[in-house]
Amino acid sequence: MLPRRAAVLALLVLLATLATGEARAQAIQNATLRRANQAYDNLDYRQALSLGRAALRERLTGAERARAYEVLGFSYAALDSILKAVDAFKQVVLIDPERQLDPNRVSPKAYSAFDVALRQVLLVRQLRVDSTSFVGGKGALPVRFTVTQPARVVTRAIGAGQTNFLVDSGAWNGQVNLNWSARLPNGDPVPAGTYTLVVDARLGQNSFTTSQPVRVTHGSVDTLPHLTSLPGYQYLPETEIPAPSWRPLGLAFLYTGGALIGTVGLESGSLGAGSKRELGVVGGAALLTGFIMTLRKPAPRPAEGNILYNRLLKEQIARRNTDIAKENVTRRQQVQLSIVPLSKSGAPR
Amino acid sequence: MSRRAGRGVGCAAVVLGALAVAGRPAGAQHVTIGPQAALVDYREVSSGLRYSGSGFGAIATARYRKLSAAASVVRLSLDPTKGSTASVGYKATEFDLWLGYDVASYASLEVGVIRRTADPEFEAQSLGAVRVGGRSTYDLGPGATIAFRADYLAAPKFSGGGSASFSLDLGLGLDLVVAGRLHGVVDYTFERVNRKTNPGGTGEIPTPIQQSLARVGLTIGF
Repeated sequence: MLPRRAAVLALLVLLATLATGEARAQAIQNATLRRANQAYDNLDYRQALSLGRAALRERLTGAERARAYEVLGFSYAALDSILKAVDAFKQVVLIDPERQLDPNRVSPKAYSAFDVALRQVLLVRQLRVDSTSFVGGKGALPVRFTVTQPARVVTRAIGAGQTNFLVDSGAWNGQVNLNWSARLPNGDPVPAGTYTLVVDARLGQNSFTTSQPVRVTHGSVDTLPHLTSLPGYQYLPETEIPAPSWRPLGLAFLYTGGALIGTVGLESGSLGAGSKRELGVVGGAALLTGFIMTLRKPAPRPAEGNILYNRLLKEQIARRNTDIAKENVTRRQQVQLSIVPLSKSGAPR
Repeated sequence: MSRRAGRGVGCAAVVLGALAVAGRPAGAQHVTIGPQAALVDYREVSSGLRYSGSGFGAIATARYRKLSAAASVVRLSLDPTKGSTASVGYKATEFDLWLGYDVASYASLEVGVIRRTADPEFEAQSLGAVRVGGRSTYDLGPGATIAFRADYLAAPKFSGGGSASFSLDLGLGLDLVVAGRLHGVVDYTFERVNRKTNPGGTGEIPTPIQQSLARVGLTIGF
């Protein structure tokens, strides 16, 4: 089972190598180099070495020269001449510092030779700047690169008119992560414009410099909208309708009964029982009203708990809005910096 | 006699005018005013001397926070009832004023005055007194308020002289919002005055007065 899987994997690697080799061969103009490439693809490493060395004696472009050394490196690695492979790969990275090998697609011997070659040459590789946007003074532009040897590395941002801002200066090796705050010495944001981030690495007599242009633009900082509600909190109804009851009719009976008892109790014996016509009119009206009110839907009454809750919610929203207003005053005085990396020709990447 | 009645009406007009003016500025104030009809039953001295009748008048109320005021004036025509010893009827003008102060949502302290004049003057007792008492009110429902009143009539004065050590005034009232600003107001007042006289210094004799008065009115709120 395992040998079959290995065979399939080897076939896939071979197909991928052939496919990339084919594409590469089409880009190569030099016939000798094309033949060297073909010999390498056909696993004829000695022929590949011979043709590669011959190609290097001819007139080649930079990319072709790098490819010729790469063929030599791969062929030497295949023939177990590691030192020679390392020398060949050193030439590759000196011509094309950004050259990288895919460990999944090249042999481990070639990859390790390439890795050793990288460590023997001072390079600053893979200088990367991501597009970012931040409020001036409250953020920074992340800058990252790789230094292949321990070196003194000075990173600067150079703007129009040769304005020069030191980003970092220190001894670095390997992966380096820096931040550029894009601020002037007085704390203000740098003026809008195009800047070039220059990374200069020095180790004894050796030095290497690479750069990446970026564009800095200014904008206004977004202000925060005022709140009308708090997420997850809603105003509650401030009135509630009590359950229907016989209370109105009971109260009408109580008050009318009180008046009747008072009248009867206060009537003078010598004057005789008075007419109840007047009390009948008013008491009847009161009882009828009480009865109607009993049948009617009760009037909404204030819901004290909800009123208190709403008041607290309003106070909380008002407090938040006060804070937002203060924050907006500050934001209106701030600058939003947007930094975009540019290609070496100046167009955004 | 007619001069007294005219004075009462004038006094009522002044109070109503004042209440109306007081009601203008603030929204918290509430003033109602309107006409009313009245039914009355009046007894004096003995069960044989009794009258009943009806009349018309006006009522005004005002409220400002915990203070409330009500004033009413009615012109009544009273006739002897069946079996009465009286031979002729008379006309009476009654002016009532109540001023209240809420001590709780359902209870108020109350002071006021009552002034009733008779025409012809000697057909019945004219009465003037100060009210001191309390009132209980309760909302029966939206726009309906019932009230029960009990006042002591202090320092009563009678046109025929005499005094009254015990005089009480009971009331039952209902204020109902009929529609919008229109209120229906009904009010019942029972008045008992233990009047005593001492004609010729021969000793006090009881000459009590008892009156039941019902008022039904429509008022407009401002």
